[in-house]
Amino acid sequence: MAFLKASLVGVSSARLAAARLATRNTPTSTLIARRLLSSSPSSQAKPVDPFHSQTKDYLPEPNRARSPSLDASFPGEVSDPYHGGPSAIEKAVHLFFFTEIVRGMWIVMEQFFRPPYTIMYPFEKGPLSPRFRGEHALRRYPSGEERCIACKLCEAICPAQAITIESEARLDGSRRTTRYDIDMTKCIYCGFCQEACPVDAIVETQNQEFSTETREELLYNKEKLLANGDRAEAEIAANLLSDHVYR
Amino acid sequence: MVSLARTIRSIRRVGLKEWWHQMQYIGDAKSGTFKGKDQFGNRYFENMNPEEEIPGRHRWVDFAQHDYNATQVPPEWHAWLSHIRKDAPQEDAVVQRFTPPWKAPYIENLTGTRGAYKPYNTTAPKINAWEPKVAPRV
Repeated sequence: MAFLKASLVGVSSARLAAARLATRNTPTSTLIARRLLSSSPSSQAKPVDPFHSQTKDYLPEPNRARSPSLDASFPGEVSDPYHGGPSAIEKAVHLFFFTEIVRGMWIVMEQFFRPPYTIMYPFEKGPLSPRFRGEHALRRYPSGEERCIACKLCEAICPAQAITIESEARLDGSRRTTRYDIDMTKCIYCGFCQEACPVDAIVETQNQEFSTETREELLYNKEKLLANGDRAEAEIAANLLSDHVYR
Repeated sequence: MVSLARTIRSIRRVGLKEWWHQMQYIGDAKSGTFKGKDQFGNRYFENMNPEEEIPGRHRWVDFAQHDYNATQVPPEWHAWLSHIRKDAPQEDAVVQRFTPPWKAPYIENLTGTRGAYKPYNTTAPKINAWEPKVAPRV
């Protein structure tokens, strides 16, 4: 009970301080109160100690000015704003001898003798994530059976409507796609298809070098996608494994 | 212009012939440990010393073909070269384990050649021309 009372007192004393600021109707005090709310950094904040907060008041002077007033910076006479700075001759010397330009050229020359940061592209490559979303591929099970079961979830979720699926029952009764077309010119590489896929059949591989000379070559059909998966299965599976804990 | 000391150090390590070869292709004198060779004969190198190679340039490939392009790197080595996998594929247990027996041979991007992919229909046509069948005359 005593603890409850003490905490109530603590809260009320903090309220009192704010109220004391607010009750003064001068515009400066309301300004200060507003600034206290917005500009006090949270790293300086301390937890309210309910047992000792009655005696402590962190705002002893509510009217203390936070910035110097206008007439404090000009006491009596107008001061020289250029006092202690470079003289006009010094500035003229820097101007006429192009010292700033020479300093800039020196920095350029320093870079000239440093090893370049350029990544020589086809030989060296920048880092890619295992989650990188590049060219699509259709995967197979380790037995060699194709994974896609023609549920059409990828077709439904595709925001660019780039996927077209038609399905039929196979001779053994399982439902498989007869058409799995992706228009790579429509695809926005959002990765929703591989997220929607319940059997991890459609994936976006790490291959980004599938540029073509004609637009026609980007209209992928099922066999092209399966061929992509057959070539890159080891890389795809390793990437999926490295990310499986986050999926 | 690269550091002169680095160039001389690389030449002394790889030899003049290899340096000339590098200058014709990579355009820079590089030296590092040989990490492996893929089925096409591309050689892969690595130099993890940050004093010698700037991080990001520490893995590179030396293409076997004169007419090189980036897609001549097979997927396993592509993962290594793009810094996706830490180890080279022949040392990487995960890549070794996930390599299926039905893995297809890798083909580079054949666009612009006669081997380029052309889309075709994978379904049976829905509309067929009428084939008249004459009833057998008795």
